[in-house]
Parts: sequence; C-alpha cells; structure tokens
Amino acid sequence: MTKQETVLLHLEDVWKIYKMGEVEVPALRGVTVEIKKGDFVAIIGASGSGKSTMMNLIGCLDAPSKGKIFLKGQDITKMSESNLATLRGQTIGFIFQQFNLIPSITAFNNVLLPLEFLEVDDKIAIERTRTILKLVGLDDKGHHLPTQLSGGQQQRVSIARSLASNPDIILADEPTGALDSVTGKKILELFHKLWKEEGKTIIMVTHDLNLAKYAHTLIELKDGQIISINKNFEVEK
Amino acid sequence: MKFHKAFKQALNMVLHSKLRSWLTILGIVIGVAAVIAIVSLSNSLETEMNSQFDALGGDLLTLTAGASRANYFSHGRGDSQEWGGGGATATEEGEEIELDRSDVQALKGVSDIKLMDTQISGNADIYYVAESGSVSVTGVDPSTWSQITTLEVAQGRMLGPADTNVIVIGGRIADGFFKKQLGINQLVTIESRLFRIVGILDDNSNSVYMPIDVAYDVIEDKERGIYDRIIIKVKDENQISLAINNTVKKLLIARHVTENTKDFSISSNQAQNESRAEMMNSMTTFLTAIAAVALLVGAVGVANTMFTSVLEKTKEIGIMKAIGARNNDILTIFLLNAALIGFIGGLLGVFFGGILSGMLPALMGQSGGMLSRMASGSSGISWSMVLITLFFSILLGMVSGAIPAYQASKLKPVDALRYE
Ligand SMILES: Nc1ncnc2c1ncn2[C@@H]1O[C@H](COP(=O)(O)OP(=O)(O)O)[C@@H](O)[C@H]1O
Ligand SMILES: [Mg+2]
Repeated sequence: MTKQETVLLHLEDVWKIYKMGEVEVPALRGVTVEIKKGDFVAIIGASGSGKSTMMNLIGCLDAPSKGKIFLKGQDITKMSESNLATLRGQTIGFIFQQFNLIPSITAFNNVLLPLEFLEVDDKIAIERTRTILKLVGLDDKGHHLPTQLSGGQQQRVSIARSLASNPDIILADEPTGALDSVTGKKILELFHKLWKEEGKTIIMVTHDLNLAKYAHTLIELKDGQIISINKNFEVEK
Repeated sequence: MKFHKAFKQALNMVLHSKLRSWLTILGIVIGVAAVIAIVSLSNSLETEMNSQFDALGGDLLTLTAGASRANYFSHGRGDSQEWGGGGATATEEGEEIELDRSDVQALKGVSDIKLMDTQISGNADIYYVAESGSVSVTGVDPSTWSQITTLEVAQGRMLGPADTNVIVIGGRIADGFFKKQLGINQLVTIESRLFRIVGILDDNSNSVYMPIDVAYDVIEDKERGIYDRIIIKVKDENQISLAINNTVKKLLIARHVTENTKDFSISSNQAQNESRAEMMNSMTTFLTAIAAVALLVGAVGVANTMFTSVLEKTKEIGIMKAIGARNNDILTIFLLNAALIGFIGGLLGVFFGGILSGMLPALMGQSGGMLSRMASGSSGISWSMVLITLFFSILLGMVSGAIPAYQASKLKPVDALRYE
C-alpha cells in the first residue's frame, strides 16, 4: 500500500438526525466514504444538504446519531471527551467561514494557542508559530489583534492556527465564504500549496464550483446523502 | 494546558472584561471593605477595652451603693434622684442608699484591704482662653489615688496628699481638645474655679482628675461626704474572693442589712471584664452578620457575571475546544478567571476597608466615645487578617464561579461554535 493509499478517515453508514422538539430533521442519511491520506477533498452540494453536519462529525465536534467514524483507525464514537479533545488538537486543524479567531489576543497568540493546549514546549511552540506565520505570509503581522487585520489576513491567521500542531487533516467549512472572490482565490492557492508542498490532507466544504476545481476529489451531497464522488485529474500533483 | 498558560488566558479575560465585570468587582470590594472595617473596628475596640481593664488591675474592687450589679456604665452620669443625694439611690421606702464616711470606717476594719480611694464623678465645663468644652471629672482621694490607680502620667506628676486646686488631665485634653496644646503648670477654668495642671496622663481620654474636696464644688448635685464609689485595693490579689467575702460581711453588719436586703455591690475587674466581653461579642456578631450579607451580595454578583461571561464567551469556548482544549482546560480557565475577580475585589476591598476603619472613628467624633478615642490609636488591621481576607475573597470568587465554569466546560463544541 503506498502512502497515497492509506485510509485516514472512514465513515460507515453515518446518520445524523437533529431533534427539534417533536420534529426530527435527518441531516445525514447513511453516509459511507473513505478519505485517503494526502487527498484534497471538496464537499459540494446545495445549502442544507448536510455538508457542515458532515464536517462537524469528521472533526469530532459532534457525535453521529448512528454509524461509525474511524479516524486513523480509531473509532471516535467510542472515545472519551478528553481523549477526543487531544485527538482533535493533534490530528485536525479547523478553518471556519467566520475565521473564529479569539478577538482579545494577538494573531501570534492565536496561532500559539493550540500548541499551548497540547502543552508543547514554549521554545518549540514559539519557533513553530513564527515559521507558520511566515508560511502564510504574515510574519510581520503577528502582534496585531484580529480586528486590526483584513478578512483575508484573518483567514490566513486561522489557516496558520490550523497548521500549528502539524495536524494530519485540515478541515475547512466554506473558508472563502466571508471573503471577496479575489481574496478567496488566493486562500485557495494557499490550500493548494499546502496540499502539494506540505502534503496535507485537506477537506473543504464549498458551494462554489470555481473553487472546488482546486480539489482532487469532489464529493457531492444531496439531502444528506452522497450522490457522487469524482476525481479531478487536472490538479494531479 | 499547563497551569500558568491557563492563568495567562484567565488574566487576559479579566483585563479585557467589560465594565460589567468591574462593577461586579466593585460588589466584592464593598463587601470585603465592610468586613475589614468591621473586624478591624471591633479588634481595636477590644484592644482599647483590654488596655483599660488591664489598667484597672486585678487587685482592685469597686464598691457602689445600690442592690443592682455593679453598674459600670452609669457611674459617670452623676446619678441624682429626687432626694438630691449625689450618687445615691432611693429604696422603695424612700430611704437613701449611699456610701459615706461610716462605710469607710467599716472598711478600715477589714484586714484584707490595703488602700481605699473615695471617688465621685460627673461632667463639668472646662474653659481655656476663649474656648470651652465638657469633660468628665473624677474627684479622687489625693492621698491614695496615685497608689491605687494604674493610670500613668506622661508628663508632670500624679496628685499628692497636699494638693487642692490642681488637676491631672487626660492626653486628649492636653492635645487635641483645644486649639492650643495644654502643658504642665498652665491654668484652666473648670466651673468658675481656677486649676493648675500638674500632670498629663499617658492616655487618650477626656478625663480630669482632681482632689475630691474641690470636686464637690465643681460637679453638680454632689453632697459632701457622699461617695459615688469606693475603689478598694486588696493586699493579696490571689486572695481576692476571700477579700470580697470579708468586705461584704463587714458591710452587711455596718449597714444593718442582710444578704437579701443587701444595698451595695462590689465588683471586681474580672466580673466587669466578662460583661464587657459579652456585649462586645454580641455587637461583633451583629456587625459581622451585616458584613456577611454584603459579601453574599458580592458573591451573587460574581456568579451573575460569570454566567453572563460564559454566555458571552460561548463561541470562544467552542473555538478553544475545536483547537484542542479539553473540558478541564476550560474549567481551569474560567475558575481562575473567577478567582482573579475575587482576588482583585479582595485586594481593593482590603485597601478601602483599611481607609474606612481609619475614618469611621473620626466620623463618629465626640459621640463615638470610645471609638473616637481610637482615631489616633493603632489600626486594628493585621497582616494575617489581610491574608485571610484575600484567601476568602479568592475562595468566594471560585465558589460563585464554579457552576458557570462547569457549565462552560461541558458545552458541546458544535453547539458552542454555533452560538452567536
Ligand atoms: N443544530 C441543528 N438543529 C437542527 N437542525 C439542524 C441543525 N444543524 C443543521 N440542521 C439542519 O440539518 C440540515 C443540514 O444542515 P447543514 O449541515 O448545516 O447544511 P449545509 O452546511 O450543507 O448548508 C439542514 O436542513 C439544517 O436545517
Ligand atoms: Mg454549512
């Protein structure tokens, strides 16, 4: 089995049903999929098709109503909250549509924070933070508060934060949703670079097909079910 | 997350907190300040009392007329009843009950007694230059007073057997009562009689001591030969109960009364001490209850702020969880945040409480009596008290913040993230 073939993530007949009082809203209906290490996946589909729900489950932020999720071979539905937190910190980097930076601390400290939760040695953590800020092209903006940065810059900080703990997977839910198209394109180029040069596994939600073309695998959701999985050979490494 | 990192986060939270958090802190500040002020006040009140009672000496007895228990608090009032007898109380039959020479004679026959000082007391007006004021005057037996009293002079001398128109004054009268400081050999007028100051006491009182003979002229409604009280110094302090028994026996015979119709009372320093302590205790308990309520209000404030803070920070909690914070990390950060609020409140509270306890006695002024005398005395705040207060305000913060912090830690990351 080559490196490319290693299965990093495996969803097996995953259901998610939201209960709103008496009403049950099935957001995911029996999703089964394998995502291999080093892949760049775009999840596409109409609004309300269950994309975010699927991301939250993959990212261990929520538990499925039914089914199993294996992350690096471990069934995360059976893990304790504290183990799950550590797994999240080490394995997954989140990028949100609204950036979700902590407003009261500087860009540098935002990137440093995941390493502090993981109790990484100070010296290593600070060095790592510098390197990553440089990688996203913000080495001179570390001392700024999030509000002092533009949207594109804030999203770069949040990308840097997602990379801090050197995770296996980057999860990005509509990362360009709050950005203009030019800035959005630049962010996608950064993703592409991370995928090609850093060998990251990236899973990205988008409803913009122009952006989805940067991805290698396209998973299309409709009404909580996968209706197609396509490979985009143009972006082959 | 390491503890000092969590602390850094918590501190950052406090520093970036909104006005509301600072108002909460104010709640604690007021509570703690009230506690500090009250505790330190009652502390110094106690010290003041203890020093007074220490000064009285364990070998002293106070004899007063009347069947009631020694009435320490009223002896300065110059009781005068319908019969006009100074320091006398009337029985139901209208017969006066008083202390006079015959009692002194009787006491001379008690072998346990070493010395006696016959006293009267009351208030009188004092004049110096163009100023005047009211002071408490005690007429004492000048030949024995200096050997019995445990008061001490800071300057000059005590009264002697040959003295007539001279006085010994309390420290407060010498310094602070009049615009000008009074010194030895200066003359003051008390109730239109001129007196020379021969001694200044080493205390803070507004008291004047003079020979009893002249005191009869100065204090109103006092009948010559009648005493408000007789201070008795016993020979052996360790045999004081025996001395009391013998004295009582002798007086019962001399005054033609029985144990049941006893018309005088003897109190020792110890007995007075106990009744004082009792009063002090109930006062302290009452004040402490008020302070506790103030603190409780502060605690509710902290809890309230913490709950709102958790709500406000819900999204941040979600973010932190998404990037690897464990429940314990969140719990620690929020608990530390509450502890810090408590600590800051406690610190400021100690500060303002200190100022308040220094100011209160002065504010109460003349009417404060004992309190006003403490104004220049030592403050009742000790380091241990400061530390205990800080410890408890931190604890208070943490206890009030415990439930909100726990709730914060239990938030589901996905729910927290969705919160706007
Ligand atoms: N917390 C929730 N409670 C109830 N229904 C929800 C919740 N989150 C999502 N849903 C519903 O689940 C479906 C899928 O939502 P979502 O995964 O957010 O879709 P997408 O991200 O593709 O727009 C929608 O019908 C949505 O209304
Ligand atoms: Mg969505």
